[in-house]
Amino acid sequence: MSFLSLSPDSAKISSEISEDPQSLWQDAWHRLKANRLAMFGLGFFLFISILSYLGPLFYAHSPEEISLSLGATNPLSKATLVEVRFDEEKQTPDEVITLQEFIDVYAEDPETDVANLSVNPTTELMGIYFSKIERFHFLGTDNKGRDLLARIMQGGSISLGVGFLATLVSLLIGVAYGAIAGYVGGKVDSFLMRIVDILYALPFLIFVILLMVAFEGFEHQILLIFVAIGAVEWLTMARIVRGQVVNLKNMEFVEAAKATGVKTIAIIARHLAPNILGPVIVYATLLIPAVMLLESTLSFLGLGVQAPNASWGTMIKEGAERMQAYPWLLIIPAGFFSLTLFAMNFLGDGLRDALDVKTAKD
Amino acid sequence: MLRFIVIRLLQAIPVLLAIYTITFFMIKAAPGGPFDAERKVPESVLEKQRAYYGYGDSLSTQYFRLLKRHITFDFPPLASVPGLTSGDIIKNHFGPSVQLGLLAMLAAVLIGVPTGTLASTKPNSLFDYAPMSVAMIGICLPTFVIGPLLALVFGLWLGWLPVSGWFEWKDRILPALTLGLFYAAYIARMTRGGMLEILGMDYVRTARAKGLKELLVVFKHALRGGIMPVVSFFGPALAGVVSGSFVVETIFQVPGMGRHFVQAALNRDHSLILTTVLFYAILIIVANILVDIIQVILNPKLRYQ
Repeated sequence: MSFLSLSPDSAKISSEISEDPQSLWQDAWHRLKANRLAMFGLGFFLFISILSYLGPLFYAHSPEEISLSLGATNPLSKATLVEVRFDEEKQTPDEVITLQEFIDVYAEDPETDVANLSVNPTTELMGIYFSKIERFHFLGTDNKGRDLLARIMQGGSISLGVGFLATLVSLLIGVAYGAIAGYVGGKVDSFLMRIVDILYALPFLIFVILLMVAFEGFEHQILLIFVAIGAVEWLTMARIVRGQVVNLKNMEFVEAAKATGVKTIAIIARHLAPNILGPVIVYATLLIPAVMLLESTLSFLGLGVQAPNASWGTMIKEGAERMQAYPWLLIIPAGFFSLTLFAMNFLGDGLRDALDVKTAKD
Repeated sequence: MLRFIVIRLLQAIPVLLAIYTITFFMIKAAPGGPFDAERKVPESVLEKQRAYYGYGDSLSTQYFRLLKRHITFDFPPLASVPGLTSGDIIKNHFGPSVQLGLLAMLAAVLIGVPTGTLASTKPNSLFDYAPMSVAMIGICLPTFVIGPLLALVFGLWLGWLPVSGWFEWKDRILPALTLGLFYAAYIARMTRGGMLEILGMDYVRTARAKGLKELLVVFKHALRGGIMPVVSFFGPALAGVVSGSFVVETIFQVPGMGRHFVQAALNRDHSLILTTVLFYAILIIVANILVDIIQVILNPKLRYQ
């Protein structure tokens, strides 16, 4: 293409590229780098993955640390709390209360006691030890006083984890199904693809709900979500892979390879697989947000991730229930969730352009 | 045409049978049943309940009996809602669901098609980028995020619209918009793509060359071909609207079928689950056939195939 172009810019690019030979993947990477939205998507995706999986190691608060007396606080708020110990040596406090509760319940002479509390590391009253702590909550706390950022990290690790693993499941089913249909061809092909057509027309959610309910007592409940979602999301993948295999099977270069006596395994590994890989990668990237969406929908309906685990879907559900009093409990998880979906979609679109794949839905 | 419709309807029979069978055995594999009450009930009462609602017989007897009752529209009584049959549930709650679905699709088309058409007539301009960026946002924001946010802004902060119930026309706006916005965004993108392709075709140039007004060219000549991808999208879209309505009905307290289905699944009420699944399947199959017919009407080329 580029040698036909008269514009000086593209001529420059093509001369740059021709200086030293580039593989398909290097070429694609160059194109991807030029796409700002896609690079934003990639960057945000890396950021959110690191935040979700490595963040909890460095962050001071635990997502399970409940302090009911604190309740919901605004983002960027500082909470002044009092740790209550019945035994001075004890590491973890017996109770964590707010300053107001300290004044109401324990203080004999509020003014001096509170002053003591700020000056001394521990104050003793009636044989109970009190120490004042200041906690900073970057995104505030939820209605149970749990740190919201810590919960976002935990929810993110579950949402992303489900996204990846369920995509993997559907990838395995879809690639195997599509490859068999495409490779065998004939009546088997049309029968297998007719099944896909029929399944396409069914409302997935109904079947995911039925699957979730059918195996409800199952111990590893999250595992079930991967399988249930993977089991319904493989259809498009099967179609894409089948289309590619059918096309490639009859291409000249494959015939040439066969004619020159290249082994079947080598043909599959060196000629077929690399050509299928592009569309598969693109579609898998676009499938991850779709799967995350489905998981969140299930969690929103109360059928997905169960307490004490929480995904972003669960957090949005909880936030929606309390949005009138604490709108940020809805807005913050919804923001993280939507931005992640955005980023993944942009990345997928960018990869599609970079790898020059034309098989996707629209 | 008639032959085509008949063939498609006949094809639907094995599909429905397969759906019925899969669903039946999936529910039967699930642990628990509708009689797992928190209150302790004497064994003899349970026995009678099981017998009355048909849970006591062998699987094959249950399978064929339920199948027969569904085919003859003699819907079985419900264990989870005593006194009603699954047919009653559909009769009572079908209305709001269908209304919600139709209004949502209407909103999607009314927003999506004009936006996409506008974007395609002025590609790579502000009229293209602005609506298409908004469409991308619409695709990325899931229903259960848009719904509460719309309720928060228009219902609670501005106080313009009610956020729950299903009584007057105002109650319909937020649920229908919530459900429709995603499809509006999708339709806008598809319309733009389809229109861009058609507007570059020879017959559009001919129409312009003979001096037709631009409006006429775009809306009469190009749009007919340009919305073909949108029409074929209606089939999958309807399946999506059905699933989406589960969520929207939960958010806005719409008395539709979605909540009953989720509830039935949780209660393991086999007859209600089967009836609703079959009902949705029939709805979607009929809609897909309608979509095929519309496609034939819009595209004369297909008529000869």
